[in-house]
Amino acid sequence: MDFDFSDDQESLRDAVRRWVDKGFSFERRHAIAKAGGATREVYRELAELGLTGLAVAESRGGMGFGAIEAMVVCEELGRGLVNAPYAEAALMAPALMAAAPSVLQAAWLPRMAAGEALVVPALQERTARYRLNHVGVHAATAGEMWTLTGVKTLVPAGDEADAFIVPARLQGAPDDTRGIGLFLVDRGAVAVHGFPTHDGARAAELVLAVTPAMLIAREGWETMEAAVDVGLAAQCAEAVGLMDRLVAITVDYMNTRKQFGVPIASFQALRHRMADVKMQLELGRSMSYYASLKLGEPAPQRRRAISQARVQLGQSMRFVGQQCIQLHGGIGCTDECSASHYFKRLTMLEMTFGDTLHHLGEVSSRMQDTAGVFA
Amino acid sequence: MDLNFTAEELAFRQDIRQWVAANLPEDISHKVRHALRLSRDDLQRWARILGQQGWLGWGWSKEFGGPGWNAIQKHLFEEECALACAPRVVPFGPVMVAPVIMAFGSPEQQRRFLPGIASGEVWWSQGYSEPGSGSDLASVKCRAERQGDKYIVNGQKTWTTLGQYGEWIFCLVRTSNEGKPQMGISFLLIDMKSPGITVRPIVLMDGEPEVNEVFFDNVEVPVENLVGEENKGWTYAKHLLAHERTNIADVNRAKRELERLKRIAKAEGVWDDQRFRDQIALLEVDVVALEMLVLRVLSAEKSGKQSLDIAGLLKIRGSEIQQRYTELMMLAAGPLTRPFIWEAMEAGWQGDLAFPAANLPLAGTYFNMRKTTIYGGSNEVQRNIVAQTVLGS
Repeated sequence: MDFDFSDDQESLRDAVRRWVDKGFSFERRHAIAKAGGATREVYRELAELGLTGLAVAESRGGMGFGAIEAMVVCEELGRGLVNAPYAEAALMAPALMAAAPSVLQAAWLPRMAAGEALVVPALQERTARYRLNHVGVHAATAGEMWTLTGVKTLVPAGDEADAFIVPARLQGAPDDTRGIGLFLVDRGAVAVHGFPTHDGARAAELVLAVTPAMLIAREGWETMEAAVDVGLAAQCAEAVGLMDRLVAITVDYMNTRKQFGVPIASFQALRHRMADVKMQLELGRSMSYYASLKLGEPAPQRRRAISQARVQLGQSMRFVGQQCIQLHGGIGCTDECSASHYFKRLTMLEMTFGDTLHHLGEVSSRMQDTAGVFA
Repeated sequence: MDLNFTAEELAFRQDIRQWVAANLPEDISHKVRHALRLSRDDLQRWARILGQQGWLGWGWSKEFGGPGWNAIQKHLFEEECALACAPRVVPFGPVMVAPVIMAFGSPEQQRRFLPGIASGEVWWSQGYSEPGSGSDLASVKCRAERQGDKYIVNGQKTWTTLGQYGEWIFCLVRTSNEGKPQMGISFLLIDMKSPGITVRPIVLMDGEPEVNEVFFDNVEVPVENLVGEENKGWTYAKHLLAHERTNIADVNRAKRELERLKRIAKAEGVWDDQRFRDQIALLEVDVVALEMLVLRVLSAEKSGKQSLDIAGLLKIRGSEIQQRYTELMMLAAGPLTRPFIWEAMEAGWQGDLAFPAANLPLAGTYFNMRKTTIYGGSNEVQRNIVAQTVLGS
């Protein structure tokens, strides 16, 4: 049992942090958000750092790194409030492509690893809420050709992407886990309606109307579930980075801001609030480690652990976000204050891939007689 | 990063598990499993069994006759004992006063006191709190005046846990009123059979006389019972509080009690009530998160590579979780926990009740556990300490 990072992992962390410190100031981030949240240029810079190939196998032009390296990168991106779709494009998309035929992998993964192709998952449907298995987009075949029809929404950076990985129903009822195929859809083949999101990024709706698609896998459920768990672990790590930085910003503010002639950090009501914030941050960090360390486990254990982690992170994100705004007072409610942007990102994260109540339901239905880290 | 224990650690765990299974008396583990009343004899019997094996001082170095285990091994030992439903070791001797005697006591004091602590023969009590000194411990007033080769002790201690069984007591006493309050405190070891000591039990809200008041009326204590230097006792007391930081979270017991909560919830039918079950699920997440927090601290202690500022969180979270599982157990059994029958805390008691008596202790346990966020430095004092670390001011 060991919770230290290796020297290589620390170097990776330093590299991302240096880029954030030099190239991704809050001012730049703020300007991107104000301009509509387009981040393709930011993603290109992450590619220059080699980060977009982190999860792609070396044989496909990537680095073939594991879950802990991904966690380290996501923590740092969170700390820098980086609004590019890193988890979705660099971590989840390769996990989904793992089910693809070799030809398709060879055609796409090297370009994805290099950051030349931005490929994002398009999982969300209007009536699905957080049910991953609720897939209404349907797939039809005419000879060797596949076409998809239906609507996906909230596709991350959808109008900047080059291609989408789309679950579509081959057979069965809308909620069946069997009969969900995975497809790769080229950007040019589909109508895309983009919009900004509250966390300074972009998303899009995809309207598929007998749209040509390439088959990744006929039965995609297990792959999809695993890829979303990769995304959830990445989110947990990003949340830790976000909270870590937000707490530091808030501590600075409390030690500088004076009221009644003294720094507000001297008031016990606020000090105790900060102690509670620290608690939630560290419980969150602990469970983020847990999530990444459990990603390689068999599906039932992995699923349970990821949802346990997400319940903790969901509570932590909300508490730390809300309290850090409160501790800032009026200025925390403004657009010019960086704290409000951290808060908004934390809030939106909680509503991606299942909120706290959703994952509590998962934990609740998966409880065993024994519990604990090793159960 | 690696979540798994090493092969050696797993083998160590297995050895401990087998030893505990072979040596923990079943009548004692039965009482712990069902949260029944433990007698002095129960506690003492288990202490002596551990003592014979050399494990009552499981945190001790080899130099003082302990096993010399590292942080992970200590944790695994505690976990195996807890999961097997061993009683918690009464900590005042082996966990609290012994490390102070080792660090600050004279070789003569070490020879005189440590063997009796290690074997479980001598029952120690703690004399810290006073009626006027709770969270503000440095304000203790119990006086020790030097007269020749004796101290004359006058005053009162309170909340002395299981002090009715105590044979020796370690006390923070005031030996000077000069300077800051912390400066005039000394650490004194007192034989509780000394003339002038009166122990009076305090009945807590669960009906149990778990704590006591201890009165000192011109009690003579030989000066060789002073630990370290006069007026330096505060430093020694702080050393004691810094000891065994992870054990205070009691996460191993929390895991065991969470299992018990699930059994009760199933037996009482609330397991299938989604609203209730979600509360258990939330607690399960809390327990896993606490365990990860503990493991992070242990790993940092073992490797010495990263310094963590999170140990202060363990007491707060651990005590909140202890309260929560006792609360949920009581709520799971609901109205059947309402009867207050003192005998129901004894093993095997059924009285003339038609319904099972097993749930009767649950409310009492819930009442009893209110203490956990108060003792050992109230959680509000702990928050002060955490805030100091985070804010740096």
